[in-house]
Amino acid sequence: MPGTSISRGLQWFRQSEWSLLLAIVAAVAITAVIDSNHSYYERPYESLRDIARNTAMLGIFSLGAAVVIIAGGIDLSSGSMIALSGTVCATTMLALAPAEMMGFKPVGPLVVVVACGASLLTGFLVGTLHTWLITVIRLPPFIATLATLVGLRSFARALCESGTAALTPTKSALINVADPLFKTVRDNVSIPVTVFLLLAAATWLLLSRTVLGRHLQALGGNEQAARLAGIRTDNVKWFAYCFGAMTAALAGLFYVANESVAAPVNQGRGHELNAIAAAVVGGCSLSGGVGTVPGTVLGAVFLRVVIDAVSKIIKTGADVYEGLIVGIVVVLAVTFAQAGGGPRHDRRLLPGALGLCTIPILALLAGSLTAMTSGGWAGVGTGLTAGLLLICLRIWEYRRRRAE
Amino acid sequence: MNQQSLLRQPFLVLWLLSAAISLSATGCGSAGNKAEPTANAGPQRFVFITNGDDPFWDACNAGLQEGAKRSGLAEQGLQVVMEKNNGTAQGQIEKLRQLGSQSDIAGVAISVIQAENVAIVEEMKRLTAKGVAVITVDGDVNRELFPDGRPYYIGTDNIVGGQLLGTAGKQLLSSRGIKEGGYVQFAGFTDNDNARARMNGFKEAVGEAYTELDRMADSMDLSKARDNVRAALVNHPDLKALVGIWAYNAPAIAEVVEERGVRDQITIVTFDAQAAALDHMAEGRIDCMVVQNPFDMGIQTVRLLLAMRTDDNATIMEMFPSQGQPGGDIYTTGLRLIIPDAWEQDANAPIKPADLESAENAGMTEVLSLSAFRKWLAQYGLSSS
Amino acid sequence: MTASSDIAVAMRGITKRFPGVLALDDVTLEVGRGELHAICGENGAGKSTLMKILSGVYAPDQGQLEVAGRPVQFTDTRAAERAGIAIIHQELALVEELSVAANIVLGREPRTALGLLDQNACERLAADLLAGLESSIDPRSRTGSLRVGDQQLVEIAKALSLDAAVIVMDEPTSALTEAESARLERTITRLREQGRTILYISHKMDEVFRLADRITVLRDGRHVCSVDRSETTPAEVTGWMVGREIADHQFHGQRSPGPCLLEVERLCLPAAEPGRPDRLADISFNVHAGEILGIAGLMGAGRTEVLETIFGAAGDDWTGQVRLHGQPVRFRHPREACQAGLALVTEDRKRLGLFANLDVAGNISLCSLAEATAGRLVSRRREEQLVAGPISQTGVKTPSPRAAVTGLSGGNQQKCIIGRCLLTKPRVLLLDDPTRGIDVGAKAELYALIDRLCREGLAVILTSSELPELLTLADRVIVLAEGRLTAEFSRAEATEQKIMAAATAS
Repeated sequence: MPGTSISRGLQWFRQSEWSLLLAIVAAVAITAVIDSNHSYYERPYESLRDIARNTAMLGIFSLGAAVVIIAGGIDLSSGSMIALSGTVCATTMLALAPAEMMGFKPVGPLVVVVACGASLLTGFLVGTLHTWLITVIRLPPFIATLATLVGLRSFARALCESGTAALTPTKSALINVADPLFKTVRDNVSIPVTVFLLLAAATWLLLSRTVLGRHLQALGGNEQAARLAGIRTDNVKWFAYCFGAMTAALAGLFYVANESVAAPVNQGRGHELNAIAAAVVGGCSLSGGVGTVPGTVLGAVFLRVVIDAVSKIIKTGADVYEGLIVGIVVVLAVTFAQAGGGPRHDRRLLPGALGLCTIPILALLAGSLTAMTSGGWAGVGTGLTAGLLLICLRIWEYRRRRAE
Repeated sequence: MNQQSLLRQPFLVLWLLSAAISLSATGCGSAGNKAEPTANAGPQRFVFITNGDDPFWDACNAGLQEGAKRSGLAEQGLQVVMEKNNGTAQGQIEKLRQLGSQSDIAGVAISVIQAENVAIVEEMKRLTAKGVAVITVDGDVNRELFPDGRPYYIGTDNIVGGQLLGTAGKQLLSSRGIKEGGYVQFAGFTDNDNARARMNGFKEAVGEAYTELDRMADSMDLSKARDNVRAALVNHPDLKALVGIWAYNAPAIAEVVEERGVRDQITIVTFDAQAAALDHMAEGRIDCMVVQNPFDMGIQTVRLLLAMRTDDNATIMEMFPSQGQPGGDIYTTGLRLIIPDAWEQDANAPIKPADLESAENAGMTEVLSLSAFRKWLAQYGLSSS
Repeated sequence: MTASSDIAVAMRGITKRFPGVLALDDVTLEVGRGELHAICGENGAGKSTLMKILSGVYAPDQGQLEVAGRPVQFTDTRAAERAGIAIIHQELALVEELSVAANIVLGREPRTALGLLDQNACERLAADLLAGLESSIDPRSRTGSLRVGDQQLVEIAKALSLDAAVIVMDEPTSALTEAESARLERTITRLREQGRTILYISHKMDEVFRLADRITVLRDGRHVCSVDRSETTPAEVTGWMVGREIADHQFHGQRSPGPCLLEVERLCLPAAEPGRPDRLADISFNVHAGEILGIAGLMGAGRTEVLETIFGAAGDDWTGQVRLHGQPVRFRHPREACQAGLALVTEDRKRLGLFANLDVAGNISLCSLAEATAGRLVSRRREEQLVAGPISQTGVKTPSPRAAVTGLSGGNQQKCIIGRCLLTKPRVLLLDDPTRGIDVGAKAELYALIDRLCREGLAVILTSSELPELLTLADRVIVLAEGRLTAEFSRAEATEQKIMAAATAS
């Protein structure tokens, strides 16, 4: 029957990543049209380059977040790991070549390599710490990584201040990095993008084609069963958390290159939530065992495209609304992905008293958002329209229920 | 479930509807989101990027709009808008990049948050290469490191500002019989160019009889600012003075000192006049303040950006008469020292206006009483400066 | 047929679908007022689903419910309770951290005049109900500290506190001792004297024929028949439940046990919390190649703990000795046990055995992926070749190895797990209640499989809660009661009564 094949096709569409790709294309198209500057027409290269760079930087540690989530855990500390990694790198360079660093001169490739290696090593150590806290001390992953969320950033700041106090004339809360190698990374967007794509390919290979990847999925799907099946779950977790922390460390190096400074006070603050959002929008389930690399990559792209769309459309003061729009979009994207099982007959969107209270909230949200952007009357109109639509939906659901 | 048509899937419908509504609402919104009514569709913008969201910038914004009026931007299809940064270098880098990818930018003024940040300077240069006029206002790049970072700087001469406050501070302390002791300076960041310059200027002018105990940074976090003051009061027994460098440090210091009840032991001198700080001064909780003129910064910014865009060399020469010479690319906006009303007439006042006005900065510094200053503010509808 | 005014509850044309499974197909049931109506059927027949629809846990896809002649629709369990229907679940729905009294009044807590929680009223209510059930449980004790039998009693008290006109009991005696079961029957008699209607789900024929007025049989989600108890016999009812003559499995007689593979001596496993009795106390047994050792006992007697301890999955604080091929071993992790030639098929396959996010091939190949690699990478082709063996050996019915494992029936899922174990080429196979929740046809296939494996030289330890199953399969049976070994029987000596007596010895 045509109805069946359409809805089955719709289900495949929703469950695979094609729907996310379509959402990305739709967002780009809508922006290109609505933006009064038509920046996407007139300056496509700049926009593409900026989106690509931001996607690569977000994507690198989103892959780490996805692997941890697939293994059934969660890592809230990625942003602080980014700050720590950048600080370790800069401090190492400062320690090995103080005169060059303070004089804004090149420090030499060897020093850079050692510093980057130190950062990645720090990632490994932090991942090990997480695993120890979670498997031996039996802290829930949320708590363990919450502690490192605040602890690592503070540690990074302390490191920065004592490092600069010891190696430079003044104590400072940041370390400038002017080395030409970092500048090259900053100027050439192809470098972070290539690194990201290579990492994505390697992660995909790991998850889908290696024994360890299979064990990761088993661990996330059912930890007790995995243990009883003979999998060394502690070792698998060790790998997952180290992978998460080391990708965050790698991202931290790109952050330092991008900003030409290691500033642990605010660098990467809050960005772990973007990584988790990218993974979840891309299909990872927070209960573990489910998720793909292509989904996560597309999730990161989608998030950055939406953020850029907000900047292009709203122009001035875009970051005021950015959080709101991203929040709404993430809720819608994940709801859409979750509804892949098909709508349930007995599920109403506005049930009972809860539904009644939700109607004014949603209407107010729509109305105030429009009022703030388009003026008072447009806001009132949108709010009333939204409220009316929701009331109609409620009545429709109620009557459908009575009919059954 | 298999028989349901497309429209009966509520989530799909909801998603499409809300996506369409929200995006078109904001899209239509951007057409209406102008500070001023415009004659043509799609005017070109002058964008002012701040370092954070302090009320100091509201006064500057008022100046920008006044400058827009005086220079007649609207008739030339231009407008000036202010983008408030979030207090990080990353924020400014991202904003500069975004502006680079938008095609309606006529000029950019930025208060650079980290003077030595290479990435910010590179983005500024990229914008310049695209033909966008870029200047720094209030927060400059490190002029030795980046000599060609920007063509012009408008702002307070922060060293002079610091020196002015230091001199006032020295006079205050010695008139109270305090010949030596310690002081602590408070700012958002200690690496920021204007903060550094002020602190160094203060230290130089207040003299070696007094020791600088600490420079405390609060990353523009207001509660942290208060906590820093509390910590300073506790940690330093020989504390004699507190120096507020950024605008919000003033009320923070005043309130904490009041809270601890040590007003009679501490001399308080601050920078910038937030509305709350003016109240504190009226109540006697702040001894004196050095005030910048962000309103004038705004006016001059518009003037300069317009001149750069229209190749109006006459105006540029007028603003920067000694171009080509060291310091010739700096336009200094004025400073004022505000003292309590009572001191203006009092012969025994700690600070004698006459002493300060005869400094070599004559013409650039004024000494005003609090009420005179408030009158000036009211003239332009400002509540702070 | 009973007159419509005498019908307490009617369920007409009930159909219920779950993803991949048709649980109930057009089932109709009429229960007269004041009668004790037994509902019989094998596992998976749909009894529990039907009762959950009646008590408001699920909503039917099609069909109509009637209470006292009026059509009703329950949106949730509270609505069902208001209509006078209470259910005593088989899987205990208690909050272990709360006290007994709190659990009994949960959701309907009595309040003082100020609207605050009335603690004393809670405890008085609980004490009254428990006294009516002839129990001396302290209402203030923590529910988690009670024996399983006592917890079930609390569950019953909870349902009684609702003062419902219709009470549904889902296999209430599954964890009770004989004395407790007798006490329950006295309670049921008292309830009937009060005029309440009782729906009693059970597959124990002796109980059914002692208590019931009418009997309804369900099979594979369909209604088979409803008869008066006086018009039928246990054999007939069992025949309806199964749908065919049960072939008497004749396995024994040709299995000869080989050398002793596994010996367990004085195994002791202390309790998780200090001050509680040991979970296992002084267990000793052995099992030979080609032999099936059955372990019998009630829920909570320690059957699973024995297997997990041997397998290395129960922590490290057990004492005693385990010898494999005569060599003492102590496994610290299931991996070590696997490598030494043991395999464990776990008790609750959904919770402990299956990976819902992997497909059939993924579930089977998990322990032996190293053999499916080409180079360092897992090759899908090799994996499918690898699992083809166990799939045919165990007889898993699946459209393809890449199908989702959640779409398989319970029996086929269990075969997947057994297949996974078989791939590791074990010498000793530990099976923990492997046929629980599996329909009769699949059960027979599993019996045949276990028998075949045993003849090939495996040593098999099998725990089960179904005595006929043990009597069919096992060569020897040991019985556990509350962590102690109370009896050992050979096949010839064992009878259901003797095993039951040993399992309930205190």
